[in-house]
Amino acid sequence: MEAYIYNLVNLIAIYAILAVTLNFIMGYAGIYSLAHAVFFGLGAYVAAWVALHVHPSIFVTLPAAMASAAALSLLLALPALRVRGEYFVAASLGLQVLAVTVFSEWKSFTGGIGGVLAIPPADVFGVEVFKPQHFAIVSIIALIVVIGLINALVHSSFGRNLRAIRDSESAAASFGKNVPMIKTLSVVISAALAAIAGALYASYMSFINVESFTLDTSVLVMAMVIIGGTGTVAGPIVGAALLMLLPSAISWIDFLPQTEVGALQQIIYGLGMTLLMIFRPGGIVGRRAAV
Amino acid sequence: MLAIQLAITGLQTGALYALTAVGFSLIFGSTRIFHFAHGATFVIAAYLFYWVYGTGWGLVPGVLAATLGAVLFGLVLDRLVYVPIQRHEGSFFTVFVASFGVGIAVQNVIGMIFGRGFTSVSTPLSRSAEIIPGVYVSPLAWIAMLCTALLLGALHFFLRRTHTGTALRALADDPELVRTFGLNPRRIAATAFVVGSALVVPAAIITSATTGLNPTIGHHVMLISLAATIVGGIGSISGTMLAGLLLGLAESLALLVVDSQWTEAVTFAILFAFIIIRPSGLLGRIAAH
Repeated sequence: MEAYIYNLVNLIAIYAILAVTLNFIMGYAGIYSLAHAVFFGLGAYVAAWVALHVHPSIFVTLPAAMASAAALSLLLALPALRVRGEYFVAASLGLQVLAVTVFSEWKSFTGGIGGVLAIPPADVFGVEVFKPQHFAIVSIIALIVVIGLINALVHSSFGRNLRAIRDSESAAASFGKNVPMIKTLSVVISAALAAIAGALYASYMSFINVESFTLDTSVLVMAMVIIGGTGTVAGPIVGAALLMLLPSAISWIDFLPQTEVGALQQIIYGLGMTLLMIFRPGGIVGRRAAV
Repeated sequence: MLAIQLAITGLQTGALYALTAVGFSLIFGSTRIFHFAHGATFVIAAYLFYWVYGTGWGLVPGVLAATLGAVLFGLVLDRLVYVPIQRHEGSFFTVFVASFGVGIAVQNVIGMIFGRGFTSVSTPLSRSAEIIPGVYVSPLAWIAMLCTALLLGALHFFLRRTHTGTALRALADDPELVRTFGLNPRRIAATAFVVGSALVVPAAIITSATTGLNPTIGHHVMLISLAATIVGGIGSISGTMLAGLLLGLAESLALLVVDSQWTEAVTFAILFAFIIIRPSGLLGRIAAH
């Protein structure tokens, strides 16, 4: 039972990192990405490869994962600079679809559908962390650091620039703001921090495959942000906790076959998103109307 | 020979893409509602046909059920979701999320009822015949192309020559002006949903009899519809149609060089190239920015 709870804590922390980083571009830069699982996945694969072939220390795996996600995110930043809103959703949806194909076909790196097995546990200052209760310390510290970083950014002049661009790109440009640079940076930061979640996930699960990084994951993370409250600090964390607890709550229903839990979870958060948009567009935490 | 074969398959796929995408483009272009659940309309129509026809009730009841299901779904969604949202605000994002949520729910409800695997309907028309040595075409391919030509021709007539069609085009330009002419923008928008949703039905039925269905096909449909709308140029029905054909052809001809799992990558590459190089699309007048 204890291990079960710590396992949930770890998964909530990992998904909360994803939600917080997605909220950074959705809520503050107005970039609605359906490709967040791409950076989660890339972080996980790179960390797994580094842990297996170079060194399992998180001070090696994390920077490697973050650097590669940052590099790939330029592919997402490019269309974000050209178009906004609805058009960007299409571009990110395409990138997500493409990434899943690459993840399942690039067998030498990702292991294809079979995935990567026997990833060494995280090594923190020479200590191997593999028990869920010990890993919880690592994942929660990582979450706190990510939240702290994002908060600092949002409240800095960079954050103000982002919001200015979100509200009116031309107004921000006319005040001499370097709009393309600020937007690109926000995408790069978001992707690099999302890769932390990927790296943690790989070393925690010790097995990864493409199933964890599909469009469903991107949608789940987006749902966490929206249901919690887009553009708020606590929203994504509340959303992540709620949606990760949902499957456990559903499992209490006796007559439901285990195979339908995932489907029911998706139905609940799908309808939840729709109802929230009709009655409370700001999400659970948000007070104002959504942006 | 292979190239001819692929070109014909590509035209068949492209014709169906064109129909589906034009449905989305019509709704989005005239009402500005980012109807992401258009993919769900496709899924509902396809599975209704699969269910009714598969139970042995025949072709006509199957087509009727699919059409009725698609149109009702579009209308109900407009009435119960989009109208209430647009009453308080109606930013792109709010509408998108609401529509997206419905799409996810529909996909999973269908998955729970019909199973999550691939299914397909077999009809006597699915069997291919050799038209020239080495080139096999099923009657369904001709039906797909004919259906598309007829329906898009009818749509063109409807938009250009009828009163309601003119009102629909006017709605795209200026909803306020429509109101001053004594027309009800809400009712015209509902018409867009009826026509746009009905347009996916032939594509849904033919797809169920050719490449087959699964509940997640809605995402693919949406990627294609969005890509065709953007590549064609927002607000241009003929642009969307051309882009749909182009995407189908490109996807099919790409098989000459790559394996079949990369076909969606081809769609993405075309979309990406257009967004970067020509955001206003093939026939678009205004920039997408």
